[in-house]
Formats: sequence, C-alpha cells, structure tokens
Amino acid sequence: MRIAAGVDVGSTQTKAVLMQDNGERKILARALTDTGANVLKAAESAFHKCCESAGIHSQEVGYVVGTGYGRYKITFGNAQMTEISCHARGAQFLCPGTRTVIDMGGQDSKAISVGPQGEVLDFVMNDKCAAGTGRFLANAAEVMGIGLDEIGPLSLKATQPVKIATVCTVFVESDILSYLSQGKRPENIMGGVHLAIAKRTLSLARRVNIEPEVTMTGGVARNCGMVHALETVLGRKMQISPDAHYMGAVGAAIFALEKMDDTFENTVWREHAAGSRN
Amino acid sequence: MAQVSEYRGSIHQQQKDMMLDWYQKLDDAAGGADQPTVSMMISGNCVELLEGFGAAPMYPEVNALQLAIRHQSLEPILAAEELGYAADNCAYVKADIGCMLKGITPTGGRLPKPTLVLCNFVGCNTYVKWFEHVAEFTGAPLYVLDVPFLRGEEPSQADVEYVVRQLKEVVELLERLTGRKFDFDRFRQAVAYSSEVEDLWSKIKHLSKHSPSPFDAYFDAITLMGPLYVYRASERGAEFFRSAYEELRAKRDANEGIYDREKFRVVVEGPPPYPYFRAFRDMFAKWNACAVASTYSTVGGLWEFGFRHDPDKPFESVAMHMLAQNVTNRNYLQRYDQIRRYVNEWNADGVIIHFVKSCRLFSAGQGDMRDYFTRQLGVPTLYIESDLEDPRYFAEAQTKNRIDAFFESLEHAKHAAKVGA
Repeated sequence: MRIAAGVDVGSTQTKAVLMQDNGERKILARALTDTGANVLKAAESAFHKCCESAGIHSQEVGYVVGTGYGRYKITFGNAQMTEISCHARGAQFLCPGTRTVIDMGGQDSKAISVGPQGEVLDFVMNDKCAAGTGRFLANAAEVMGIGLDEIGPLSLKATQPVKIATVCTVFVESDILSYLSQGKRPENIMGGVHLAIAKRTLSLARRVNIEPEVTMTGGVARNCGMVHALETVLGRKMQISPDAHYMGAVGAAIFALEKMDDTFENTVWREHAAGSRN
Repeated sequence: MAQVSEYRGSIHQQQKDMMLDWYQKLDDAAGGADQPTVSMMISGNCVELLEGFGAAPMYPEVNALQLAIRHQSLEPILAAEELGYAADNCAYVKADIGCMLKGITPTGGRLPKPTLVLCNFVGCNTYVKWFEHVAEFTGAPLYVLDVPFLRGEEPSQADVEYVVRQLKEVVELLERLTGRKFDFDRFRQAVAYSSEVEDLWSKIKHLSKHSPSPFDAYFDAITLMGPLYVYRASERGAEFFRSAYEELRAKRDANEGIYDREKFRVVVEGPPPYPYFRAFRDMFAKWNACAVASTYSTVGGLWEFGFRHDPDKPFESVAMHMLAQNVTNRNYLQRYDQIRRYVNEWNADGVIIHFVKSCRLFSAGQGDMRDYFTRQLGVPTLYIESDLEDPRYFAEAQTKNRIDAFFESLEHAKHAAKVGA
C-alpha cells in the first residue's frame, strides 16, 4: 500500500493527514493538535497520532510534505510546499470543480484562483495585519467573554448587526466595548463582527476574480456564522468540505504522493534541462 | 540546502573600488580639498553638467541605501522620527536626516557640506522638501530645478526649453559658487562619455534576453548602478562599462548563467528591500529564478530602448533625459508598456512587484498594475509589500511564503500544462 502524509503547521493548530493511493486516492486518517511554542513537537505529535489512528507504523509512510508557516521545522519531512499551493490542491481534490478558494486561518486569510488541475493561477493574502483572520474573531470572542465555538451560532441570531468601523484586530476591542456600553445585544455585535470580516475578505477575493465554484477552507470554515456572512456578501453558496480545516494537509499529502511517484517535480525539471525555452 | 546566488566575475569588485574612491573624494572635500560637490537625486541626474566644473555628485539616496544594506538604517530613521518626521514619511528622507543629526555616514568617512544642493525635482515631490531640509541642515545654497512630469508620450518643446533655461541658470550659479568657469568642452566630452556608457549599458541589458541570463538584471544591475550614476560622464565610467560588457558578453557566449540551471525568468518592478537585500535575493536564488529585467534599474535613466545623450545637443539631451528618459518621471501607462515589453522581449515567466510602503509616489497604482498584468495580459504577477529602507516593514516569513508560493504556482502550471497537453 502506498501511503504519504501531509503535515500543516499553522500559527494556531497543526494538522496531519495520511493518504493512500491504490489506484484511487483516499484519506486514511487525520489528526489535529495545538501548535504551541515547539513546532517540531506539534508536527511529530500530529503525524504520529495520524499513524496510530490508521493503525500503521510511521515507517510505512513513503513521503511526507510539510506546509504552513512551520514547514521548515518539520525535520522528518521530505519536502516543503506553501499552504497556498496545498489549499488549492486539497480543495480541487475534495471539492472538484473548485475555481476559487477562500482560506481563513489563524493569522492568514487568502484568496486563490485555481486551475482545473488544482494549480494556483493567482493568489492574494492579507498583508502583515490580522484583520480578516481567525485571530480577529478570537479577540472579539474574548472581549465578549464567549467561547470561540459559540460566536458563529450566536451571530446567526443577529437581527440588527452593528456596524464595526474597524477591521483592526486590536482596535475592534474598543468598538465592541463601546457597543456593549450602549446596550447592544451580543448577537447583533457578533453579527456585525462577522459581517465586517466577510466584507474585507470579499475585497481580497475580488482581486483574484471570484469564479464559481468557490470553496472555503481553513479553521474558520467551521464557524457557521462566518460561512453565512461570507455567502451573504458573495451572493452565492460556497463548497465546504467536512475536512475544510485539514485542507492544507490534504493538499500536502497529495503532493507527497506525487513526489513519491516522481511524477511532479522531475517532469518540470526535465523540461528545463531539455532547453524548452530556446 | 537553499542555493545562494553570487555573481561570479570581476565587475562587482571593480565597482566596489570605484565607489570607495568616490567616497574618498567626498571625504577629501570635507577635509578642505579644492573639490566642489553637488547634492542631487538619482532619478534623471544631470551628472554631465557637473563635469563641466569638475564637481563630484553626492547622492543622499545612495547614502541612505548604503546604510540600509549595512543594516544601519533604523537608528537614523528613529532619530528623524524623534524630531517629528511621520512614520509614513519617505524612509530615505528619514535615514538621511537622521544621519545628519547623529553624524553617521555609510563608510564612516566624512561627507562635505555641498557646494550646492541641486534638487533636480524629477518624479518625486517629497524630494523638494527633503532637499530643502538638506539645505537647512548643511547651510548650503539650494536650487530647485523644476522638471515637469511627462504628460504625454514626449515632452513638449516648451518643456525642453524650460529645463534647458534652468540648467543654464545652474551653470551661472555654480560659476559663482565655485569661482570656476564652466568648461563647455569638458561638458560636451562628458555628454559623449555618457552616450558611450549608455550604449554599453543598453547592450548589457539586452544580454539578459539570453537563456540562461549571464547576470541578474535586478540584483546585479543594482551593483552596476553606482558607477552608472557617479561615473557615467567620465573616462573611468566608460572604461568600467567597456570591461563590464566584455565580461558579461563572454559569459553569454559561453552559455554561463547566474545559476547553473536557470529555472524561472522574472521581471521585477520596484526597488528592493535594502535592509534585507541578501535575504531577499536568496529567496529568488532558492528557485533558480533570475530577474531578466527590472524597472528599478531605469530609475536613473532609461536607455535600453534607444535614448542616448547627444554631444551635439548637450543641454537639450540632458533636459530630455531628465524629462522623459527615467522611469519615475514617465506616466504610468508608459511604465506598463515598459514592463510588458520586458515580459515579451526578454521571455519572462512572470512579474514581481515590490510595493514600497514609505514611497507612495513610486508605489501608488501598483495594485492596478498587478490586475492589468494578471487579468488583461494573463501574466502571472506577484505583489509583495515592505520598504526600501525601513527594516520594520519587512516580514521575512510572509515575504518568503509569497515568493515560494509564486514559484510553486509557476512550476505547477508548467506541470499541469504538460500533463494536459
């Protein structure tokens, strides 16, 4: 059995996926752990949890591709790829027909235009600012004293979402406190928070041309309020896989299978060596 | 292990020696030598005119970038901010002003009080204020040479005459300030040297059309820009560019690239993040990605499409250079066209735009530029942001991530095209 792994070391959580290819590619196991300060430990932990869950020995894994910000710390991995490529590839695998990916993670949000084979045609990311990311939502939840899992469902109950003027992760706290002191209802505040992020994400996505199908990936895809707000501003439904949170790791695992087969990188290199430019 | 690119040849050392000699000349001037000096800005510099007085140029921008590349720019920037310069003010300005406040120079040598602060106001209105401040801090006289922005394809005759009249005023002013008579023959000879250097530089620029490119037309071109702006109008400059062309042509003929296996060819728009110059270059080197053309290397003059200074029309051609033949004074559609030509004629895989946070004038509109190349021309284009001088704007992990993703996407697209074919 040919098995490969993808390990996505994100700023908040580390995700690992094992994938097998017996003529058909299939996810064997998935695992999740908080990243914390020790990136390598988190990566190893997620990887080994995955192996345990699949009932295989780690040595049976033929190739490991690391992705995410901590990818270069994965010393047991064979190769690294950016999460941009991996999310595109993963989305095309789990949600065939994907042409646009909106990924919202802990500290990054990105929009990716995807080709028919999962190749990245274009991408844009938030720049050195946590506006429009999971961290913005986490900060808002903390100020409100609400659990992160509760803010999405709460926001769906909003009848008159407030206007959040800022998308600054730091200054949103003072906006929220101001609304609380005015007696605004928590669901309307959270509704406003979600809408503010959705609008910012929309402007990001517009820069790569939004084409259907749109697939949402990343940890924030688990937030039903964010999904609703994004679909409202986009004016269309998005595809959301149950594995949306693992999408980067899924894509990394697919690249790992291809690299193991020698079908990806070497093909491109041979092209260059043959002097195809001339 | 990541590949680190190094230019393998002799011209980098030669240019280093030349730049140190230039700084020594400035140090001598500060020590009382009979050496007139003129502060100018790089863009559309009129170094030819200075040769008519045997005057040496001083470039506050070069001082600023030299500091940044040596990782010394933050201290003077903070000093300027303490004085009240805003956080989003041009970081070149702040580094230069901070240096004057703290007595810092890039080489540790002295810099003289300039004989004249000549604000050749080309393409940047912040510079007017900067040079006013330079004049204020140094106590040197200031002349603001107003160069109108290029509104159409070519400057009008009135624009040319307007600049020529000002150049002649500068001549009269320098005669008074230096006590030297303007040597017109030497000026014309300087223009002739410039013409020869521009011809050689243009030929060098065209060598990178070859694959593999014998040099990196962004990172290595920056190295050659020092001699281009300081020595262009002199015999020494001509000698240097003759040998540089021969060296690079020999590499081209021997099929010797900057990388053993050139993998990607890109066009770069915008100045580099000087405080992280090496780290930034290594991000390209990791992918064997060679810049085959760059707009930044045309800030001081755009010569690869045919313009040359003309010894038969010395004043007029200096004016034309200032008005129309440097990237910053040209209009945005001309810049689009310049990059488009680079992509097509230099056979590039994509464009990388580096947005400079503290330079709105150069960078404003680059978002639209990205859209134009990506959507209308279908040219893969990466847009990254940091700064040319202020290290606080550079996020290494994020920049690396975007560059890696860009080259991955180019690689994947080639693979997908092959599989699909």
